[in-house]
Amino acid sequence: MSTWATVFAAGAITYLTRASFIVAGDRVGFPPIVERSLRYVAPASFAAIALPAMLGGDRFASFGDDWPRIIAVCVAAVIIVRWRNVPASLLAGMVTLWLILGLT
Amino acid sequence: MNGFSFDQRAFRTGATDIIALGFPGIPFGMVIGVVIAESGIGSLVGWVGSWVILAGAANLALLELMAERTNAAIVLLTVAFINSRHAMYSAALRTRFVGFPRWFRYVGPYFLIDQVFALAASQPDDMAARERLWNYFGSAMTLWTMWVASVTAGILLGDVINPDWHLAFAVPLLFTGLMLLSITNRPGITAAAVGGGVALLTADFPQGSGVIIAILAGVSAGAIAETRSEGAT
Repeated sequence: MSTWATVFAAGAITYLTRASFIVAGDRVGFPPIVERSLRYVAPASFAAIALPAMLGGDRFASFGDDWPRIIAVCVAAVIIVRWRNVPASLLAGMVTLWLILGLT
Repeated sequence: MNGFSFDQRAFRTGATDIIALGFPGIPFGMVIGVVIAESGIGSLVGWVGSWVILAGAANLALLELMAERTNAAIVLLTVAFINSRHAMYSAALRTRFVGFPRWFRYVGPYFLIDQVFALAASQPDDMAARERLWNYFGSAMTLWTMWVASVTAGILLGDVINPDWHLAFAVPLLFTGLMLLSITNRPGITAAAVGGGVALLTADFPQGSGVIIAILAGVSAGAIAETRSEGAT
C-alpha cells in the first residue's frame, strides 16, 4: 500500500468512527442503560486523557517530580470550578508550574 | 436547508469559545509537524495527512509506525483502535443532531476533535437547532485552522519549542478543566473518578487501549451511579 493510500485510508477510518452514530441519527436506538451511560462520555473520557498525562504517562511531557504539576493542576481546577473560565485556568496553571520550577 | 440558514452570531460564539481550548493543541500540532519532517514519508503527504486525519494521537502513531515501515494493515488497525474513542463521542452527540440537515450530519463529524466534542456536549439541551449547527461549525472551522497552522509551522520551522517551557503540560491542564466543566451531577463525579483511575492503572497498555477501557469503565460507573441514586429517592 502506498504512503498516500495509507494516509487516506487512515483519514477514512477516522471519519467513519466520528460519523457513525451522527449519520445514523434516529435510525438507531440504544437501550435506556446505554443511552444513560452516554451522558457520561465527556467526564469519563476527559478524565481518562488528563490523569495519565498529568502524572507523567505522556511521552511529550518529561517533567521531574509529580508534585509541581499536581499543585499547578489544583490551582487551575479552583479557577475552573469557581469562575468556569478556561483561558484563565490554563494561564494560572502554566504560571504556577513555571514559578514552582523556577523557584526550586 | 430550510430553517438552518447561516447564523453569524452563533458561528462567532462557537469560534470564540473554542480558541482557548485550541491553544494547548498548538505545541502538539507542531510536534506532529516536526515528526512529519523527520519521518521520511514526505512532507507533502504528511501535511495532507494531518488534515485528512485531524486527530493528534492517531496521527502521531501513524507517523511513527510508517517511519518504521510497518505493514499498512497494522498501521490502519492502530489508527482505528486509537480513534474508537470518537465513536463514543459520535454516539453521545447522536440525539443532539437528529433532524439536522443531511449535509451537516455527513460533514460535521469530520471536525469532531476532542475540544469540538467538549463544546458541543456542553451546550444546553434547549439550544435552538439552527444556533447549535452554526455554533458547531464556528468552533469546528476555527479549531481546524489552528490545528493545520500548527502542523504547518512544525514542518516549516522544526523543533523551535524549548522543552524547558513545559508547554505540553497545557494538555492535561485543559482536559482537567474540560472534565470539571462536564461534571453536572454526582454520577458525573463517579464517571470521572472511575475513568481517570482506570486510565492510570492501564496507562502502560499498548496503543492507547487503556484509555478505551477506562472510558468504558467510567461511563458504565456513571450510568450505574445514576440508576442507584434514582432507586434511592
